[in-house]
Amino acid sequence: MKTVIKTNGLSKTYTNTAVPVHALKNVTLEFKEGEFTAIVGPSGSGKTTFLNVIGGLDKPTEGHVVIDNVDIATMKESQLFDFRLRHIGFVFQAYNLIPVLTAMENVSFIMLLQKQSKREMEKRAKEMLEQVGLSDKLDIRPSQLSGGQQQRVAVARALASKPNFVLADEPTANLDTESAFNLLDIMARLNREENITLIFSTHDQRVIDRARRVITLVDGAVDKDEHFERN
Amino acid sequence: MNMMLKISWRNIWRNPKRSLVMVAAITAGLWGGISAASLVFGLLEQRFQTSIEQHISHLQIHHPDYLRDHVVEHRVEDWKALQEYIDNDRAIKTYSMRTTLNGMFSSAHLTGGVHIIGVEPEHEASTTRINDNLTDGSYFSDALRNPVLVGKQLAEKSKLQVGSRLVLTFQDTEGDLVSAAFRVAGIFQTANKQFDESHIYALRSELGHYIDSEVVVNEVALLAMDIEQINPVRERYAEAFPGLTVRSWDEIAPDLYYMQGMANLMMMIILAIILFALAFGLVNTMLMAVFERIRELGVLMAIGMNKKRVFSMIMLETSILSLLGAAGGLLASLFTLSILGSRGLDLAAVGGDSLNEFGFPSFVYPTIEPSFILMLMLMVVATALITAVYPALKAIRLHPAEAVKEE
Repeated sequence: MKTVIKTNGLSKTYTNTAVPVHALKNVTLEFKEGEFTAIVGPSGSGKTTFLNVIGGLDKPTEGHVVIDNVDIATMKESQLFDFRLRHIGFVFQAYNLIPVLTAMENVSFIMLLQKQSKREMEKRAKEMLEQVGLSDKLDIRPSQLSGGQQQRVAVARALASKPNFVLADEPTANLDTESAFNLLDIMARLNREENITLIFSTHDQRVIDRARRVITLVDGAVDKDEHFERN
Repeated sequence: MNMMLKISWRNIWRNPKRSLVMVAAITAGLWGGISAASLVFGLLEQRFQTSIEQHISHLQIHHPDYLRDHVVEHRVEDWKALQEYIDNDRAIKTYSMRTTLNGMFSSAHLTGGVHIIGVEPEHEASTTRINDNLTDGSYFSDALRNPVLVGKQLAEKSKLQVGSRLVLTFQDTEGDLVSAAFRVAGIFQTANKQFDESHIYALRSELGHYIDSEVVVNEVALLAMDIEQINPVRERYAEAFPGLTVRSWDEIAPDLYYMQGMANLMMMIILAIILFALAFGLVNTMLMAVFERIRELGVLMAIGMNKKRVFSMIMLETSILSLLGAAGGLLASLFTLSILGSRGLDLAAVGGDSLNEFGFPSFVYPTIEPSFILMLMLMVVATALITAVYPALKAIRLHPAEAVKEE
């Protein structure tokens, strides 16, 4: 299987605090195409920092993040914007849709930034919303959607740009059980059928139970890296 | 509609009250600014018109020494040749050949200095329309001997009425003092109180009897067909009559010329101050709009919307808000101008009478040049763009990883 992300000796130290905080310590990992990975660990273990660093939202203090044979740790900020736009899909805990845009427009927006044609954009947005079971909510704004529906739009948005992988930071944390299962079903199906690489940071056992790989971080270092056989 | 424009437009109306207050503030500011400017321009334009039409005319021709020393000897000797030239000149609409004298007047109640203008009634009427400014009496009635027109202020001060007798004393061409009795045929009132307090119109032919054996012309006032073309006309007359001094209106009354330029500058400064004040409101509104959307802006940057686009989005929102206000201000101003421009505004009720003391009318017809409005619109757009920079910079300085976690 193709390697999607490779980290080597990744460290991140925050020095703008009273005492330097070592959020990541020498993390070396590889993520293969089509993996469904959960990054777990107690609060403050470095899960979000790890996602931020491999998502190009934050720079490591040391080490390398190689995606598509490019070390994004050495990229300029302006290059990172474009890199994120073309290679990485994001799903956030608080859905974070653009409230003034409809579901369809929210999904299309990222393709607009990629300068895709209007026809292509609409076709793909409809297709993605259909995939997440929201083909009847195309013209609805986020405020009129339930939390679960909003998170499904966020998933459709993350996938619309055809990224190399999707990073999801606690995507089920704000959802009720039914919505969380529904979302996980959709993500698991997309992972299986479309071979999409998914990396979650989570506390949620429901997510952990679905993941085929569970990486446990403790104090910024990899404590366990387990693989499971799941459907 | 372009998606960025759509987002910006919808973002503005997320908080409709706040945006409407801002738009209303810009509208009111511009309306006030344009209305005040049009009022000032109206006053100046009318002062200009009345000064030109009632006093200065477009061109004046004198003996060169007359400008230094206003005595009757400094006259236009061959005024008949000049008259013939003017009569054949198609660039000239009308003219008045006058005898002007500095003298004294004495009434039963008052004695004082006065400027006497001897005119040929028909020509003077067509040049300065002084006949239209009569508030009492008639325009050089044939029934009276030595009829004169007296300014309203002078008439009131010296308690002169139509039919009253007054004595005018002045020098003749020999330098001797001459006194003669005149009768008030009419009382005039122009927009300039100072003029009305110090001028008397008499018949040129009658004055001629007292100062010389023949008609004396020492001032020729001309109205051209087109004031814009006055300079070539002036040059032509100066060339045709090298022994005379030919001056255009801006040379005769440079204050009028500079006043217009000054007014433009002053109004621009006042409007710039209004815009400067509005800019603070705009910055405040846009900063609030940015701070309310920190998480959303973080998400946009996280998913790959680059800083240039985020910056443009905030700039676009500010621009739309300002342009809406500018359009509102413009429409409100045009509406106000369309009404007041034709009906006029009587400032007499709010102490506008004092304006007459300085030669300004108290009944104003506001007016404004389209170029001034265009300049103002450009100033609004520039202000909007400048004020948008700070909130936009705030937006792009956000760190996406931190901003997405903002509550």
